[in-house]
Amino acid sequence: MANSYQVVVCGGIVPDPLQTLEPVAGPAGPALKNEMMLPAVLDPWAGHALYEAAALARKFPGSKVYLVSLAPKAKLQQVMMTIAQRVPLELVALDGPGGGFTDSAETAAALAGAIQGIAGLDRSKLLLFGGWESASRGAGSTMQMVAERLGIVDQFQGVDELQIGEDGSLRILERVEGGQHQVSVCDAPPALLGWATGNLGEPANNAQVGMQNMRTIMPSLQKAKPTQLKSGIAFASVALPKLQRETRIVKDASVDEIAKEIADWAAAE
Amino acid sequence: METILFLAHTEADGGLAKATLEALEAARALGGVLIAGLVGASVEAAANSIAGCGASKILGVAGEAFGESRYSTDAAAAEAIAQAANATVIVAAHTSRWARALPGVAQRLGAAVDTHVAALSADLKATRWYYRQRIEGVIERAARPRVILLDSGCAPAYAGAPGAAAVELVNVEITPALQRTRVIGKQAPKAEQQTIRPDAAILFVAGAGWTKKQKDGQTHVADAGKLILDFIGSANSSLGSSKSLVDLSGEGQAVLPFLSHLNQVGQTGSTPRHPKGLATCCHGEEPHVVGWRFIKERRAVNLDANCGWARGKADVLYVADAFAVIAKVNELLKAKS
Amino acid sequence: MEERPSMEVDIVCVGFGPAMGGFLTTLTPALAEFPEAPQVICYERADGVGFGVSGVVTRARGIRQSFPDLDVSQIPMAATVKQEKVLYLLDPVGASRRSKPVKALDAALRTAGHSDRFAVELPYTPEFLHKTNGLILSIGQFNQWVSEQLMMTGMVQVWPGMPVAEPLIEDDAVTGVRLADQGGMPGMDIRAKLTVVGDGPVGPVGRKIDEVLGTPPGFERNEWAVGSKMVIELPDGVDLEPGFVLHTMGYPEPEIFGFFYVHPDRLASAGIFVPSWFDNPVRTSYRYLQHFIQHPYMEQFVKGGRLRSWGAKSLMESGRRGEPFLCGHGYARIGEGSGSTNVLTGSGVDEAWTTGIQLAEGVIELLREKAPFTRDNLDRAYVTRRRSSWIETEGRAAEHARNGFQKGFIRGLVGMGLAGVTKGNIVVHAEVKPTHERVGTIEDYFSDRIPREEIAKIREQAKADGTPLHDLLMDRSGWPPIEYDGQLLVTHQDALLMGGKVQASGGFEDHVRFLRQELCEDCVTQICVEVCSGEAIAPNKDGGNVPVFDKEKCVHCGACMWNCAHAVDASGRTNIEFAAGGGGLHSAEN
Ligand SMILES: Cc1cc2nc3c(=O)[nH]c(=O)nc-3n(C[C@H](O)[C@H](O)[C@H](O)COP(=O)(O)OP(=O)(O)OC[C@H]3O[C@@H](n4cnc5c(N)ncnc54)[C@H](O)[C@@H]3O)c2cc1C
Ligand SMILES: Cc1cc2nc3c(=O)[nH]c(=O)nc-3n(C[C@H](O)[C@H](O)[C@H](O)COP(=O)(O)OP(=O)(O)OC[C@H]3O[C@@H](n4cnc5c(N)ncnc54)[C@H](O)[C@@H]3O)c2cc1C
Ligand code: SF4
Ligand code: SF4
Repeated sequence: MANSYQVVVCGGIVPDPLQTLEPVAGPAGPALKNEMMLPAVLDPWAGHALYEAAALARKFPGSKVYLVSLAPKAKLQQVMMTIAQRVPLELVALDGPGGGFTDSAETAAALAGAIQGIAGLDRSKLLLFGGWESASRGAGSTMQMVAERLGIVDQFQGVDELQIGEDGSLRILERVEGGQHQVSVCDAPPALLGWATGNLGEPANNAQVGMQNMRTIMPSLQKAKPTQLKSGIAFASVALPKLQRETRIVKDASVDEIAKEIADWAAAE
Repeated sequence: METILFLAHTEADGGLAKATLEALEAARALGGVLIAGLVGASVEAAANSIAGCGASKILGVAGEAFGESRYSTDAAAAEAIAQAANATVIVAAHTSRWARALPGVAQRLGAAVDTHVAALSADLKATRWYYRQRIEGVIERAARPRVILLDSGCAPAYAGAPGAAAVELVNVEITPALQRTRVIGKQAPKAEQQTIRPDAAILFVAGAGWTKKQKDGQTHVADAGKLILDFIGSANSSLGSSKSLVDLSGEGQAVLPFLSHLNQVGQTGSTPRHPKGLATCCHGEEPHVVGWRFIKERRAVNLDANCGWARGKADVLYVADAFAVIAKVNELLKAKS
Repeated sequence: MEERPSMEVDIVCVGFGPAMGGFLTTLTPALAEFPEAPQVICYERADGVGFGVSGVVTRARGIRQSFPDLDVSQIPMAATVKQEKVLYLLDPVGASRRSKPVKALDAALRTAGHSDRFAVELPYTPEFLHKTNGLILSIGQFNQWVSEQLMMTGMVQVWPGMPVAEPLIEDDAVTGVRLADQGGMPGMDIRAKLTVVGDGPVGPVGRKIDEVLGTPPGFERNEWAVGSKMVIELPDGVDLEPGFVLHTMGYPEPEIFGFFYVHPDRLASAGIFVPSWFDNPVRTSYRYLQHFIQHPYMEQFVKGGRLRSWGAKSLMESGRRGEPFLCGHGYARIGEGSGSTNVLTGSGVDEAWTTGIQLAEGVIELLREKAPFTRDNLDRAYVTRRRSSWIETEGRAAEHARNGFQKGFIRGLVGMGLAGVTKGNIVVHAEVKPTHERVGTIEDYFSDRIPREEIAKIREQAKADGTPLHDLLMDRSGWPPIEYDGQLLVTHQDALLMGGKVQASGGFEDHVRFLRQELCEDCVTQICVEVCSGEAIAPNKDGGNVPVFDKEKCVHCGACMWNCAHAVDASGRTNIEFAAGGGGLHSAEN
């Protein structure tokens, strides 16, 4: 198993999930209220992709992990300070809109362009990783278009596991309908894996990793290419759903009463 | 006038899934010229099943290689059909297979793509969710071709009578490059029991409270597991979970072995569709409840009258001990059946 | 555990609050002039550099010195102070515990005619309280903005999510710091020529240095407050000008001071301080904050608004009296942990920032001289600067300004006024007692309102439910129950989840520890449980009496540290060890 990989992870940033989100009309279409103020995190599924990439790189010495991210530079910098302590990586930063209301095709074009710009990329070692959906746009379409632009036709989505065989083949579990996994084997890289949760937890912070990463992260942020996205999408409306239900709170009923009510409700057609 | 291509893949049995028939109905509702495109190991049966759908023609890509859910062949087939149909709008179901393949196909066609569409109007306004079901957007696009993937449960299913349909086969050459990936098969998660049932009437959500210390200062994880599985067994329900609970199970703790991340509902979990949902021992925090967007009737059992469910997230909150309540419910349900 | 790694840098900094902001902002531009730029690295324990609960108002003298061309609109939530008011709040519910003199004052004010909103505006704001030309800031946003400016230079690194466990001390020198262990991985030793300690009022690194290297004569840290505050989205129809500042006293209890600052974009900060000299052992800042915002005067601004975030933090009110040795071999102290906060003017941010500037100026001087960071050199380059600045004169003036509060609210007010007006020349003298010496039993405190037997029952109920006593006791003693509306009035637990991260990064040890379990076993007052700002310390319902700590809920306010009913040694150390830990970043808006 002398193989090594170049794992390119595409990951955006999203507001911390506990934030209250509210849409507002911005100059370039819908945006989130206080978007620049909301604390941001690495998109969770892309985060899993990154941790899987790091684990793979550890297992196959000589491998390298790139993180390609399109987001407003200042926000990206904040998020990087957390991510960069966890995983050795080289950042490829694009300074542009990272919100959910942009067109995935445009984002994909920008990301693919950035990946093509990475010096020394070797297709025979290339694994393109990302989250299977973002927590912002939630489209699950960006990565496929990035891969198409890079000519990668072995693509997997909703990936929970990757195993590298003795022969260097990739054995992949993808989420499919009915709470099942599809098992596929791909001969060799290049391939795209859009990750779901995977099997790894968040790695612990490591000061040394952080120090090393900073050598490339700050320069990358400093020279992050300003990226504009044009959008073919016209929003007829953007609104919060009617959230509140009238909750009936049943407080002092007996277990029997409650159970009967639930059982009747559950059994009703 | 738009040329609408309804694109479908067959299932293992050669037929079409419910979600696929829903997409067909949605495509029919658009008006315009309808063309159907089928991909599968063989497509005759499927074509016959929609013979009466009003399509001006049915295109097909068939062959062993196209019976598998695989990006390379799926994309090649879809691309070929789309080219042959010269469609302006392509409508398909948001199945795992098309969700994987069609965005890339859109890229090849120079088409725009909208996924997870929850409603589609006759003038092609698509409703979809942003920020994990927190913000609802209605979008329009001038660009053509335009690919639209419709979520399941968002339209009635096509229910026309079967007939005899003629399929115009489109040839797709299977090059070695399309066959670098082999599909081995399907496997259920490493769980003792298959607990996820998309077609079930009820989503039963178990929260971390099931594993917490109870009134007597002890945990009762074994009881909890039994109560949960009994409910799932007796109530035609699918099992969902909060993140906290599956995370616990993941950390090597012997907590509810039948749960995996696939059960997780919410922000970083799934957003299943069921007519009813019952949350137990789950606090109802926003990152969890966003996964309930498509659960119509919602009830919760929680000891805490101030938990999240109390505030407009459920229709009914029962402030009670879920251990006692679910035990009794299970009894009653058994008696009913 | 694996072997402990170690690393060398030139300057290691602990904590990223306003003090460190001032230090690094001043230091960074000068680094480029050195052929081999010194490597400077800063570790912040919270998951983001936006930790620091306080919407603050500050005169911003030091901050404006650092950013002469400051464009306030570039800092999210920042506004220039426009209008200041000081209010005395009367008690509209009749539950507030008012001493005879306070009642007399209330009566006098009532007859003198007050507004129908139970509030009396002070005819003028005393000069020493003025924040003219000052700034209203969200410290979270401000810290983030500052760190952005710093990071983008590429000259320094500011790492969040990295608690510093302790200083490395060899003989009488600090030689660096040890990072906290995480997930079985030993924390790294960072060896440095200079360690800059800016870990705030309750930081464990500063405290450890005091413990090992000693403190100056007269050093005393018995006076504290825990501040609890909310960021509120103002309701429609309330159009307050950004820059509006309100200070209140008198309600919910006379001892509890309140504030209300208006940010841009219809946001406001509202908060209160629960001080150590408040005699109620069930001193819950969250509940009191909820009563504060429901006071008829406050309600006119916030009713119908929405809670966006909430947080809590300790304030070291001993101020200058709590000044440690400001430097020693290899280290220097800045910010609130170095005794810079001025309680007379209610101001800590600008003071902290300015001590940072002063240290940086000194450090640049020493770097230029190629002089080592010895005690003498730091004393000359840093401490001298500080002593000859307004930090020292104003800190001295404030030193005993609030002692009067030890003897009651009215005396305190008088003392504070006198000290303010006479620049500290006249003060009310009183011995400042730590919480564990001041606070009596719950039964005694409530003896005039709740019979002992009933308290016993309430205790039983709380114990069985695993909840603190404060809500039950307050409900019983006349405080109206809180009507949760899920918008502005939400449960304490929901507040924890509002507007921020709650998940502490995993793998750190519990940072709140009960040192001598037998003391907790016998402890009846359990102030730690009652005060806990995050409901992270809860009564033990599973047998035994040692409270349980849940680090996922801890907001790192540090209030438990000075709110224990028992001291473990003569130094006054309490039975709670408050160590370094991760997490607890609740909202970057705070
Ligand atoms: C980035 C991120 C993503 C996230 N994504 C998700 C997600 O996708 N899905 C998700 O679920 N969460 C998600 N969360 C986590 C979420 O914020 C909560 O932490 C989680 O949902 C809490 O799970 P819980 O309600 O089961 O547990 P807890 O909060 O521990 O609640 C347990 C509940 O059980 C009740 N209880 C205990 N015993 C009993 C009893 N005998 N009878 C009745 N009730 C009882 C208690 O009153 C309590 O309300 C995410 C968080 C973050 C930060
Ligand atoms: C509710 C409230 C309202 C206030 N209002 C005002 C006001 O209106 N005006 C005003 O001027 N001042 C105000 N203050 C005071 C002001 O907030 C402080 O004086 C000021 O923040 C002190 O700055 P600092 O940098 O010294 O410390 P801090 O702001 O406390 O920063 C210290 C930093 O060190 C970090 N840290 C601690 N331990 C460690 C460790 N072991 N490892 C790594 N990092 C660590 C902390 O997380 C923190 O980020 C208020 C305080 C409170 C609590
Ligand atoms: S920590 Fe202090 S206040 Fe809390 S129970 Fe122990 S002795 Fe009592
Ligand atoms: S446990 Fe945490 S939240 Fe509670 S008082 Fe102590 S520091 Fe504050």
